[in-house]
Amino acid sequence: MEWLRFAIIALLLAASLLTAMISVAGVFKFKFILNRMHAAAICDSFVLLLAMLGVVVAYGFSIATVKVLLIVVLVWIASPVSGHLIARLEVTTDKHLSEECEVRE
Amino acid sequence: MKLRSDYEYSWWRRLVRFVDGETLEDAERRAEETRESHEKIQQKNDIEVEKQFEQEEKEDREDRKRRLEAEHEKEAMELLEKYKNWPKEHGVKIFGRLYAIMAVLLCIVIISTLLITVSYLPEFGHPENPNNNEVVEKYNKEGLYETGATNAVAGMILDYRAFDTLGESHVLFIAAVCVMILLRLEMTKEGKPTDKKRAEEENDRLYEPKNDKILQFSAKILVPVIVLFGIYVILNGHLSPGGGFSGGAIIGAGLILYVNAYGFEKAKRIMNRRNYAVISVVPLLFYAGAKGYSFFTGANHLDSGISVGTPGEILSAGLILPLNICVGIVVACTMYHFYTLFRKGGM
Repeated sequence: MEWLRFAIIALLLAASLLTAMISVAGVFKFKFILNRMHAAAICDSFVLLLAMLGVVVAYGFSIATVKVLLIVVLVWIASPVSGHLIARLEVTTDKHLSEECEVRE
Repeated sequence: MKLRSDYEYSWWRRLVRFVDGETLEDAERRAEETRESHEKIQQKNDIEVEKQFEQEEKEDREDRKRRLEAEHEKEAMELLEKYKNWPKEHGVKIFGRLYAIMAVLLCIVIISTLLITVSYLPEFGHPENPNNNEVVEKYNKEGLYETGATNAVAGMILDYRAFDTLGESHVLFIAAVCVMILLRLEMTKEGKPTDKKRAEEENDRLYEPKNDKILQFSAKILVPVIVLFGIYVILNGHLSPGGGFSGGAIIGAGLILYVNAYGFEKAKRIMNRRNYAVISVVPLLFYAGAKGYSFFTGANHLDSGISVGTPGEILSAGLILPLNICVGIVVACTMYHFYTLFRKGGM
């Protein structure tokens, strides 16, 4: 039973690390802000969830678990909104937006 | 044929006339006539020449005058230009040199003072040093008993070293005041905004979403949670990690999120200038008064009359809880005020 738990923790943390790597690579690889934002958003949502789940499994259920899950929920509320605001600012201020992506008139 | 003007008097001419049969009288008369006419012509010429001379001289003089004036003017302009550019070219240079010299001098003075002080301190890392045994021992053994705070850090910064924390709060307050002096845009005497302020307010949300529904909805969920968490951190400062500074920063962030979502009009209901002045000065005064009292009694071995209470309870640890609240309020107000000042020059 113990090795199964360890395997689950390792799998979750390894997956979160791998996703974080993909996200960072995307942030540096992509050329345009909106693409980079897409890559960076992975870090906020998926990586956080996987890492926190790994922590929860590692330390068992307690009051701290609720706190950790609360962190996930709050970040999931806040992060897309900040992404939305940044994207909106980018769209309003960028003069060469049509060169970067399709713009529906 | 060109003749000399005294041709008529030349001996050759006279000889010719004598040969022609001219008498002496005739010759004299003729000579006089010619002389007169010659003189007349001469005079006339002289006058004309003089006139011409005069005119030329006049023109010359005027010309020279004008040229002189132009030269003077040019010199004056050059001088003016020089004076105008002096601060840019030389003043800054001189000031920069002075600044560098003074900065180096100040640094040398401070460094030498610190080094002299350090040379009187006990050797670093020596096991017998008071900071390696006495202080830590005291904090560990008697900290809980003396301050009543289970969070040893809160006991240290708000009880043993409360003067230091008072100074930190004042630094924050002074920083806010200085930024206010530099960035605040004033109202006119009638209480209406000036042109600059109105322009700033129009510019304020040029690129930012006005009344963004998504942001407003998420702020509706998040702001109460954030502020509540900040209050929890402040109130629990003497029981768990946290305290005035961190809790105040959290509350300030929540307020900034609220302003971003709902705009300054709604935020003004709680955070306007008068409220800011009151709720940042009153905590500082209370802090100074309370800590002055406790230092006075403590230094004179008097009983302060403030009970430590049972460690671990929310209403315990004497002055630490109210002081945490004061620090938290000051930090939150300062953060929010900084944001508004840098964004549009005032609340």
